[in-house]
Amino acid sequence: MEDNQPQEKPVTQMETQSPVMEKILPAIHIKMDNQKQVTSGTTQDKATCNRCGIISSKEFSFFYGNTCGVKNISMDIYPCMVTAIIGPSGCGKSTFLRSINRMNDLIPHTRAKGRLEVNGINVYDKRTNLVNLRQQVGMVFQKPNPFAKSIFDNVAYGPRLQGIRKKSDLESLVEQCLKDAAIWDEVKDNLNKSALALSGGQQQRLCIARALATRPKLLLMDEPCSALDPLATTRIEDLIEQLKKFYTIVIVTHNMQQAARVSEWTAFFCLGELIEYDKTTRLFTKPGKKQTEDYITGRFG
Amino acid sequence: MKIGYRQAFDKTFTITAGLSVFLMVMALVIILGPMLSRGSKAVFFRGTVEFRKMQLAIFNHGSSDQVQAETARVEKAREPVYELLENFQIGIDVELLTDKTREIYRELGQQLRQMDVDRETYAAIRAKAKDIRDTLSDILESTDKDYVNQGIEVILKLSDDPDFKNTVAEQFFPLARMYGENVKNIDLTQRDQYIAALEEVKDALRKLFGPLPGESTPPMPKDRYGATRWDTAQQSLHQLLWAQAWVETKPGESLEKISVRRDDPQKGQFAGTSLEPLFSLVENNLDDMLQPEFTIYWRYFLDDWVNSHYFGGVGSEIIGTLLLTLLSMMFAVPLGVISAAYLVECADENMVVKIIRTCVNTLAGVPSIVFGLFGLAFFVLFLFPRLNMPSKPCILSAALTLSILVLPVIIRASEEAIKSVPQTYKEASLSLGAGRFRTFVTVTLPAALPGILTGIILSLGRAAGETAPILFTGAVAMGPQPKSLFDGVKTLSYSSLDIATGDRLAMMAPHKQYGVIMTLIILVLCLNILAIIIRWRVAKKLRGY
Repeated sequence: MEDNQPQEKPVTQMETQSPVMEKILPAIHIKMDNQKQVTSGTTQDKATCNRCGIISSKEFSFFYGNTCGVKNISMDIYPCMVTAIIGPSGCGKSTFLRSINRMNDLIPHTRAKGRLEVNGINVYDKRTNLVNLRQQVGMVFQKPNPFAKSIFDNVAYGPRLQGIRKKSDLESLVEQCLKDAAIWDEVKDNLNKSALALSGGQQQRLCIARALATRPKLLLMDEPCSALDPLATTRIEDLIEQLKKFYTIVIVTHNMQQAARVSEWTAFFCLGELIEYDKTTRLFTKPGKKQTEDYITGRFG
Repeated sequence: MKIGYRQAFDKTFTITAGLSVFLMVMALVIILGPMLSRGSKAVFFRGTVEFRKMQLAIFNHGSSDQVQAETARVEKAREPVYELLENFQIGIDVELLTDKTREIYRELGQQLRQMDVDRETYAAIRAKAKDIRDTLSDILESTDKDYVNQGIEVILKLSDDPDFKNTVAEQFFPLARMYGENVKNIDLTQRDQYIAALEEVKDALRKLFGPLPGESTPPMPKDRYGATRWDTAQQSLHQLLWAQAWVETKPGESLEKISVRRDDPQKGQFAGTSLEPLFSLVENNLDDMLQPEFTIYWRYFLDDWVNSHYFGGVGSEIIGTLLLTLLSMMFAVPLGVISAAYLVECADENMVVKIIRTCVNTLAGVPSIVFGLFGLAFFVLFLFPRLNMPSKPCILSAALTLSILVLPVIIRASEEAIKSVPQTYKEASLSLGAGRFRTFVTVTLPAALPGILTGIILSLGRAAGETAPILFTGAVAMGPQPKSLFDGVKTLSYSSLDIATGDRLAMMAPHKQYGVIMTLIILVLCLNILAIIIRWRVAKKLRGY
């Protein structure tokens, strides 16, 4: 319950905000609903939640020019769970992950086919508001990439984009996010220090805090621990464990132990195709496909 | 054996690298060293009393009491020189003497009328005086020494005449006596040559000590003062002491130029004359006559020039250069950064962008004079009249032309800098919901700033030093400081060109020419250092430690 406690704070804070702010921040309200549901929810609620996916993709394919990145992916990702995506290099894990918040748009000559929905919104619709989408879908990258600004400004970057300018609001929000990302105790004394002066693990947790600050519903993690040492990895994994109570997390990882440790669901990708998608315990103990078994036992890849 | 080779290679490489660095430094020293050392003479030199007088009169720098005391001292030291000159002149300058004789005669008439003497005496005295006058005039015109001596004797006999007692006519006799003395050692047939040589001597003396006593103030400030510097004083002294002459050494061969001291006992122009002691007097007492002191003329960088750089400093040029450089940067930097941002962030790699990029690269290699002519044709003659602005070269057109000149450099550097910002920075910002413009302004631009500043540093130096683009578009050699964007501007680069090509100033005051160049070098260096410090601070802030 101690972890839930801080989450109450932003709720009350948001409720007291002006109507103008409400208009600006639809994403936050969606998040708020989600949060209330979770914080007040029982295991029963969670179970009902699981049935409808927060991300649902149907026959989704993505192309780089003429090369196919992923093809015909059909899967649902359930809220308030950790979903791990594993697979050999170049199998389309990252492509799929980055399609969810359309980060692949940066690459020229790409196109998507099929349907990919986040919370009922078609991601690859021309009318989709990218800003709203990306504020709902936070992302943590492979390498820690804090901005060359102070720790405070790094975390406050997202909220400021949403129009939160009041210093006290920002301060409480930043503190909350840093606490959620389990880095508050390490940086609380020098929030004005440059983020680049932190260690790699700290930077990665700061990036997570920065992603949390936009109040997303979803957190995409693209191999968040690949550049970190085992100790920092442990801390991030602990963090994921705590965050999954409030956020839906999709994590791409090369480390099968990590997938087994942190995730509830696991998807196995190979050569751009989804081979198998199942509960983690089942996938790792009784894989349904030969390819999966080969991969997780280390006979292939 | 293989390792031996490798080590040898390694050593060779190190030595070559060290050598090339050393050569570069040496080249820099060889190029800049002489300029700086010569230019420093504009600031560090031995200034004479004339310099201090000039500074006080023109710029009102220095203490007036001290200068007055010094002036009194040097005037006392110079007195014998002028005395010698005047005495000699009496023997040579016939016209002056003739005038004087006539004047004495005229004054005598007036005096006699006032003295209330009777008619006969008056007529007698006048007749006698007239005789003296006529004889004197004859003597002065004659070139025959014997005739002159006889005439003088005749006149001097009359000196005891009681009629002339206490009259102006007494002045005839010292005049005649002095002329007789002077003429003794002079070849009267060569009088014209003496006059010419005397002019040279007087000229050199004017250069040394300023206008001769009794002369009116010259219109040009540079003629109002003597040698302000010890090195120019030495040159003028040489001019005073040595005469140039073309001599036929062997019959039938071309003439040879030789230098002869004017007071040389055998060949000197003034050998044996009453002027002879003047030369050694000046040579030996020049210190007392000019009172040289080591001077640090730091106001060189603040003072305006006087008499087209003959005196004064380069203050107005420094301000003009800074104004022009900063103005051109104000146009070029935003334009360049925006262009670079467009090329990197917005434009696809299509044909048009490739052509634009090629154009930018080509533009960087276009000779600067082409930009100057373009600026004249486009801004001054085409654009300004159509915008109802005065169609004349001005600081605005010069700044615009310079900004076009440096634009390719800024675009190239900014493009590289923006490209080198890690993609993950942009991704992080975009994933937080920022738009592309906001991402560029808040994330990409700050991260690219050190690289962009490098481009700005490069172009700052270029803009400050370029002459050709501003030659037709706004640089002026003289004139007041620009008061609006439509006035001409004085710059260091253009001034150095003007001094070098404009008149004989480069020869008369080489220290000023090199001084301008030295100032330009120092200015560009300071601008660069400033920009480097800013870049370092920005980079440090970005690094975070």
